[in-house]
Amino acid sequence: MLTQILLIAPFLFALVVVFAGVRLRNILTVAFVIFLACVSLLHLLFINEPLGYDLPHEFHTLFFFFDALLLLYFLYVGIAKKDTLVASLAASQIVLYGAVKFVGGGEGSHDLFIDNTSLMMYLIINIVGGIIVVYSLKYIESEEFGRLKKNGFIAVLFFFLGVMNFLVSTDNIEIFFLLFELTTLCSYILIGYRKDAVATQNALRALWMNQIGGVAILSALLLALVSYKTFSFELLIANIDATYLFPVVFLLIAAFVKGAAIPFEKWLLGAMVAPTPVSAILHSATMVKIAPFMVLKLSPAMSVFLSEAVMLFGTFVFFAASLLALSKNYFKEILGLSTIALLSFMMALAALGTQEAILAASILMVFHALSKALLFLQLGILEKEFHLKYVNDIESLMSYSPLVVFFIVFGFASLTLPPFGVFIGKFMAFESFAAGIQESPVFLAALLFSALGSVFLTILYFKVLTKVFVRDMRLGTSKTKEIATTYKYTSWALSILLGAGIVWSLERQLFGMWEIVIPALLIAIVPLLLFVFILKNAHRVKEYNCGEKEEAVLNMYYLHTPPALQKIIVVLSLVFLGSLFLGVAL
Amino acid sequence: MSEILLILLAPVIGGVLYGFERVVRARMQNRQGPPLLQPFYDMMKLIDKQTLIVNPTHALLGVMHFVALWAVVAFTIMGGNLLYIVFLHLLASLFLVLAAFSVKSIFSHLGANRELLTMIAYEPILVMLSVAFYIQNGSFSIEAVRANPSALGSLFFLFLAFLFVVQLKLKKSPFDAAKAHQEIVGGAEVEFSGLFFEFVYMALWLEYVFVYLLLLLFAGNNVLLGALLFGVVFLLVNLVDNATARVRMEHLIKIFLGIAVSLAALNLLGLSYV
Repeated sequence: MLTQILLIAPFLFALVVVFAGVRLRNILTVAFVIFLACVSLLHLLFINEPLGYDLPHEFHTLFFFFDALLLLYFLYVGIAKKDTLVASLAASQIVLYGAVKFVGGGEGSHDLFIDNTSLMMYLIINIVGGIIVVYSLKYIESEEFGRLKKNGFIAVLFFFLGVMNFLVSTDNIEIFFLLFELTTLCSYILIGYRKDAVATQNALRALWMNQIGGVAILSALLLALVSYKTFSFELLIANIDATYLFPVVFLLIAAFVKGAAIPFEKWLLGAMVAPTPVSAILHSATMVKIAPFMVLKLSPAMSVFLSEAVMLFGTFVFFAASLLALSKNYFKEILGLSTIALLSFMMALAALGTQEAILAASILMVFHALSKALLFLQLGILEKEFHLKYVNDIESLMSYSPLVVFFIVFGFASLTLPPFGVFIGKFMAFESFAAGIQESPVFLAALLFSALGSVFLTILYFKVLTKVFVRDMRLGTSKTKEIATTYKYTSWALSILLGAGIVWSLERQLFGMWEIVIPALLIAIVPLLLFVFILKNAHRVKEYNCGEKEEAVLNMYYLHTPPALQKIIVVLSLVFLGSLFLGVAL
Repeated sequence: MSEILLILLAPVIGGVLYGFERVVRARMQNRQGPPLLQPFYDMMKLIDKQTLIVNPTHALLGVMHFVALWAVVAFTIMGGNLLYIVFLHLLASLFLVLAAFSVKSIFSHLGANRELLTMIAYEPILVMLSVAFYIQNGSFSIEAVRANPSALGSLFFLFLAFLFVVQLKLKKSPFDAAKAHQEIVGGAEVEFSGLFFEFVYMALWLEYVFVYLLLLLFAGNNVLLGALLFGVVFLLVNLVDNATARVRMEHLIKIFLGIAVSLAALNLLGLSYV
C-alpha cells in the first residue's frame, strides 16, 4: 500500500502543480516533498523483507500503449529535428520492440519487487530529489519564462521522481524498459528546457545516447525471452547459465550509458546547459544513479570474468575521468566529470558482488547523492546571486558570501575527508580490491587505477577549495550579500543530512571510533581556537614577491591533457566494452 | 602509556632527529655544522617574533597541517589502520598546499603546484605498501605488522620503492624540487613567518617521525633489524642527498611512476603468485 502511494502520488502532484498559481504552487510543492520524504522513510519502518506485487492486466495494455507512443514520439523528434541518429535509434527500437511483442510469452515473476536496494533508492530519490525540487522553486522564479512553463518545469521534476520510484521497484524488464525510456524523455525535456541552439543540440545528444541504452535493454529482453523464456530480472538471474550471458552484458551496456561512463560521457557533460537544478537532480538523485542500481541488481548473475571485467572497466573510467577533470576550469564540468568518475567506481564495486563491496557501493551512492546535490545547489546560487561560473572567478567569494563558501567547503570536504560517508565508502572499496589480489591480477590493476584516480579527485576538489579561501582584504565586509531563504534552507537540509551520516557511520561501527571522531574534532575545533586566541590580534603583511613590482595574475593549476590522450581513453574504453562481448562469447 | 608519551613527544623526537641529521650531513661535507639542538633554538626565536600573517586562512591551514600530521603520527604509533593513515597523511599534506594557494604569491603557488605533483608520484606507492602488508598479515592493522616477523625479504622491491618515497618526503636531493629554494624562494612555505612558520617547521619534523615509523614496519617484530634499518637508511638518505643533483619535476614524476611504481607492482604480483 505504502509503495503504491510512492509510485502514484508524484504523477498526481505533477498534474496539480501545472495548474496552480505561484503562491499555491510553492506551498503545495513543499507539502508534497515533505509527504514523499515521510512516505519513503516509513518504508524503512514497515518493510522488513522483500515484497512482490502484481499489477492488473489493464496496466500492461496501458504500458504497451505508452511504449508505442513514446517510441513514435522519439521517431518524430528525430525526423522533425533532422537528426538521423535519434531517428534511426528510435526506428531500431520500434523494430526490436515489435520483435519482443512478436516472440512474446515467457514467464514472469512479480511486476513490482521491493527489496533493500529499492528502499535505499526511495530515500535518495525522494529526499535528495525532493530538496532539489524545493530549491528549484526559487531558482526558476528568476528565469524569463511564462508561468505555465515555470510550472511545467516543477511538474516535470515531480514526474521524474515518480518515474524513478517506479523504475527502482519493477522486476519486469519490459516495464523497466518503458521507465528507462521515460527517464530519457525527462532528461531530453529538461536539458532542452531553455530552447536555445546549444540546449536543443545537447538535448538531442542526450536523447540519442540514452536510446543506445534502450536498444541494449530491448536486445537483452529479446535474448532473455528467446533463450531463458522470461522477462523478469529475478527469474533471469536465478536461472542464469554461465555460458550464455549476453542478456546480462546488454543490460550492463544500458547501465554504462545511463551512468555516462566513458565513452558515453558526452550526454551528461552536455546537460550542464540546462538550469542548474536539472544538473543537480540528474547527478545526484535520479538518472545516473540508475547505473549502479542496475549493476547491483545484476551482480549475482555475473560470471567471474564479467564481474572482473566490469570492475576493471569501472576503475579505469574512474581514473580516466578524474584525470580529464583536472584540465577543466568550468565549475559544472569539474563536478560533472567527478560524477562520471565516482559512478563508474560504484559500478566497479557493485559488480564485485561481495558483501563488503556492495555495502561500500551503497554508502557511496547515498553520500555521493547528498554531497553532489549540495554542491550543485551552491553552483546555482553562485550563478543566480553572484553571476559566477568559472573556478578562477570565484576568488573573492569569501568577501561576498561566507555562507556559500562554507557550503562549498563542506560539500567538497564530505567528498574527501575521513569522517564523511564517501571517504568510508572509498576506504572499504580499497579493502575489497586488496582482498582480491591473490585471486586475480585484475584486482591489482583495479587497485592502481583507484589509487591514482582518488589522488586525482582529491587534488581536483582541493583545486576549487583553494580558490574559495582567497580573500581580497580590500573589499572588507561591504559587499557581503544575503542569499535567498529557500537557497539557505535547502542547503542546510542537505548539510544536516551529511552530518547525520557521520552519526550513522559511528553507530554502524563501519570505522573505529577514533578514526571518525579525531578528524571531525580536528576540522571543527582547531580553527575555532586559533581565531579566538591568536588571529584576532595578528598584524597583516603583504605577500613577498622578491621585489617584483608587477602584480601577477594567478590562475588555477590544471593538468594539460592533449586531445590524443582523450582519444586513447575513448578507444581503450571501447575496447573494454568490445571485450565484454568477446569474453562472454568465448 | 608509553605510547601516549611517545605521541606527546613526537615533535621533540622529530626535532632532535632533524638536528642530528644536520650534524651528520655537515660532517659528511667536512663541516662542523650547527649544534644538535639548533632546531629548538630556532623555535625559541620564531616564537618570540611578532605575529605577522598574510591572511587568517593561510595561517590557519598551516596550523591544521601540523595538527593533522600529528594525528597521523599518533595513529601510526597506536598501531592503527595503515591504509587509513596513508589517506589521512594525504589530507594533512593537502592542508599545506591549500594554505600555499590561499595567498597571492607566485612562489607560494609554484611551490604548491610542485607539492601536488609529488603527491601524484608517491601516493600510489604508499597505497601499494599498505596493500602489501595487508597481503602479508591479512589485515591493514599496523599492530599486526609489528607482531609478525620481518617481511623485508618478501617485500624487498617495495622496500626499494619506499626508499624513493623517503627521499622525497624528507625533501632530499635528488627529489627536492618541491622545496628548491634557489629557484622558487621557499616553495609552499614561503609566506609563513614567526609563530606560524614554526608550526610548518615542526610539521617537517613530524614528517621525519612518520617516514621512519613506516620504515620500521619492514622490520616487523625484530627490534635489532629495525635499529639496523634505521641506521643504514638514515646514513644512506644523507649520503644520497650530498652526492646527487636535483632532478626536474617532470623527471621526478617519470622516475616515480616508471621505476618505483613498477617495483612496487612487481612485488605485489610476486607476493600473490610466486
